[in-house]
Amino acid sequence: MSIEITNVGKKFGDFVALEDINLTIPTGQLTALLGPSGGGKTTLLRVIAGLETPDTGSVVIEGADATRLPVQKRNVGFVFQHYAAFKHLTVARNIAFGLEIRKRPVAEINAKVGELLELVHLTQFAHRLPSQLSGGQRQRLALARALAIEPTVLLLDEPFGALDAKVRKELRDWLRRLHDEMHVTTVFVTHDQEEALEVSDSIVVISQGRIEQIGTPDDLYDKPASPFVQSFLGPVTRLGSRTIRPHDIHIFATPTPDSYSGYISRTTRVGFEVRLEVVLQASLPDDEPVQVIVTRAEANALGVSAGDSVWLRAV
Amino acid sequence: MVKTAPWLRITLRVVVIGYLVLLVAWPVGLVARHAFAGGFGFFVHALTEPNVQHALQLTLIATFGSVVINTVFGVTISLIIVRNEFPGKRLLSALLDIPLSVSPVVVGLALLLVYNPRDSWFGSGLAKAGIQIIFSTPGIILATVFVALPLVIREVVPTLQEIGDEQEWAARSLGASAPQTFWRITLPSIKWAVVYGVVLTLARSLGEFGAVKIVSGNIVGATQTTTLVVEERYQNFDQPTAFALAFVLAAAAVTCIVVVAILRPQNTEA
Repeated sequence: MSIEITNVGKKFGDFVALEDINLTIPTGQLTALLGPSGGGKTTLLRVIAGLETPDTGSVVIEGADATRLPVQKRNVGFVFQHYAAFKHLTVARNIAFGLEIRKRPVAEINAKVGELLELVHLTQFAHRLPSQLSGGQRQRLALARALAIEPTVLLLDEPFGALDAKVRKELRDWLRRLHDEMHVTTVFVTHDQEEALEVSDSIVVISQGRIEQIGTPDDLYDKPASPFVQSFLGPVTRLGSRTIRPHDIHIFATPTPDSYSGYISRTTRVGFEVRLEVVLQASLPDDEPVQVIVTRAEANALGVSAGDSVWLRAV
Repeated sequence: MVKTAPWLRITLRVVVIGYLVLLVAWPVGLVARHAFAGGFGFFVHALTEPNVQHALQLTLIATFGSVVINTVFGVTISLIIVRNEFPGKRLLSALLDIPLSVSPVVVGLALLLVYNPRDSWFGSGLAKAGIQIIFSTPGIILATVFVALPLVIREVVPTLQEIGDEQEWAARSLGASAPQTFWRITLPSIKWAVVYGVVLTLARSLGEFGAVKIVSGNIVGATQTTTLVVEERYQNFDQPTAFALAFVLAAAAVTCIVVVAILRPQNTEA
């Protein structure tokens, strides 16, 4: 139920942003729209919100046809990539905005705003202006403001895109926990596969205006429907005729049956993992080296370095 | 910051200050001195003369009309230009600058061609309906509106472009209608640009001379605005009155600009 998108298409001039999209987003789940920039995922989110009108097809939200419904009547919470905080209003007034528009009693508004300020940890900043907040705080403000109207669906456009890596990580853990408490149907757009894999219940991979695959993070990672999905969700390398993930390769320092032999051309250590490039004996001169990722402990146990012979086998 | 040699810095300052003194401060200061040359009593006497009073009133009416009309249309046109794409947008934008680039005298003549009750079909039509534009207050307001037309727009358009439309969309998604979004979000965001545009419009309208002279007919005690009185008195050797009125015009404009400069927050982000 919840959100049903049927045959939705959208063009901007000659550019096809969305082509015949059919998608059902179940109630209460956290769904990621994942794909490369310009692939149509933000357009799809804006169509669900009513910020764009589709050229064809329909959008049904909780059983009601919303295709021609203007954005202010859809009761969706939309969080913009750059927060779109009301700069002339304090944090508290920003959050109260939707309730003031709905002409709720002042006591009710104040109670709700207090509750939300606590939820997003901004209570002590209630009387500040958005310009006095950090990026992460502004994003939480935008989220609280969208939640205040008790939306049917919560839509987030690249919610953590403009934040630095550490704050990003904190906020996405926090979003996951928040969602587990509130159970509001949530759709967020991201181009970061790690973010999608970590936070969401299900992922919709969108590229060039089409849906490539829909599934749980595990489904997508283990059973990608296309080489595109496989390569988009994480690093891939070629071993013989197979396309495989670099950490799905066993590496041995001694000759092993059913394996490919070669030598290590390069090693790079990145934090806890070690990336090896292996040139196979059977390879042609312009073949790419095989990428292998092992943990630092495995690399130490193996005791190999650049130039050494190794044997590779798929897991 | 780039270091400038001390001698160059001092020379530059002297040039700038000298330029402003010779061009602005000294002449305007002399106007003030001449306004009070006959003493404060004479200054008040000059301003209370019936024809002068009438001219001041007429200037106030024309300025008020110009400010109200240009603010409402200026903000509306700015929103249309910034928030919409349509064919001919660049042409419209260029047209809006015409009042600033064309001489007010030409503006006056152009208005005369359209609204005169004798050989313009439009003007004579209006005259038959009992509406007189030329040689009366509506014509004076019209001419003043015309010359001050772009001032609000030129202040508001860049601000609207800078704030973008995300806040407006956010307001809409929270349930606000288009008018609610305008009053609660857009207008507060462009408040200072509008205030600045109003002040510039006010100052420009108070001082309008050329266009008004042509469309008003310059009839003493009837269609003569303050600037027209200044010219008439100066030429008829009633210089004290001319200077008293000139001082009032200058003081009003300067006061507006100073007040806004003080009120406007240092941090113009809000």
